[in-house]
Amino acid sequence: MIETTETGIDGLDEILNGGIVTNSTTLVSGNPGAGKSILCLQFIYNGVELYDEKGIYLTFEEDARDLQEAAESLGFENWGDHVESGDIKIYDKQQLLRENDFSSSLDLLLSDIEGAGYDRLVLDSLAMFELFFEDETEKRTYLLKFTDILRKNELTTLMTNEQGAVFPETEIGLENYLTDGNIYLIQTPTESGVSRYVWVAKMRKQNIETDIFPMEIGESGIRVHQNASAFSLMNEDESPI
Amino acid sequence: MASVDILQTLGNKYSAEILDATDEPRSAQELSDELGIPIATCYRRIDELTEHDLLELHDNILSDDRRRIKVYRRNVETVHIDFEESLTVSVEERSEVTNKLDEAWRTLSEG
Repeated sequence: MIETTETGIDGLDEILNGGIVTNSTTLVSGNPGAGKSILCLQFIYNGVELYDEKGIYLTFEEDARDLQEAAESLGFENWGDHVESGDIKIYDKQQLLRENDFSSSLDLLLSDIEGAGYDRLVLDSLAMFELFFEDETEKRTYLLKFTDILRKNELTTLMTNEQGAVFPETEIGLENYLTDGNIYLIQTPTESGVSRYVWVAKMRKQNIETDIFPMEIGESGIRVHQNASAFSLMNEDESPI
Repeated sequence: MASVDILQTLGNKYSAEILDATDEPRSAQELSDELGIPIATCYRRIDELTEHDLLELHDNILSDDRRRIKVYRRNVETVHIDFEESLTVSVEERSEVTNKLDEAWRTLSEG
């Protein structure tokens, strides 16, 4: 029996056959606005609230205040308290990108990873992390080393990736092969707004539903519908983003 | 005087060639073979360069015949020599990010 880590997101754990494989690294891909950050916020917040698992949130994209506002707009009222108590540890844009200072942040991060009892980690985004490496070989090598460090320290990780779903003309990044799982968030414009879907293309060691499922982003975050009949409901809730 | 020391170390025969070749980790034997350096000299240069942090022990890898082999990687990207005020030699090190990840990863495989 494979151990899984629940995201606590309605419908997503079901199509994942229980959750994300524990101690694995999953890439969450999608275009801007597809809901990657929301999924990650839910993963970390639910971890603390529902499963008593502490989380690290690394973001090169936002600072801690924006992140907290985003969390609170999803109704995650205790986000700030969890950050204060250390159950959620934030490494934000300001800290990570302080002039040439990623390497000292990395020291702190590595010590958190290695011994502070965290179970979940989010890296937003992989593309920014890769900027610290010089060429393709180096990016590949250090992504593998980093995921190895995370796995051995028993962290279940989501990394975001600016990339649309893989339809023929889209290039599949090497990152998709180097990580254990691939979740795509897809949005397509419609007459009345936007239709959203989630596709779990890969989850190593896990039997998963590889169909594409409709999802919505409502006031309290992402919700995945497991059957097509819910599909017609999708545009009823206005997306907050 | 540290600056002169570094220049001397860099100026020793084969030092520059060793640094040039250790973009990727290399063992003393590989360097000796590839660059045609007598093996004893090669070890001596590696020691000198390592002492001055120009080269670093990157890993202990397992060879085909199951022996531990030390591999070295250069730790320097650029060297600036400045005569304007007083002689200063500044060494720009390789990306610390990769070094730190290497280190953390190495500790893992040892543990």
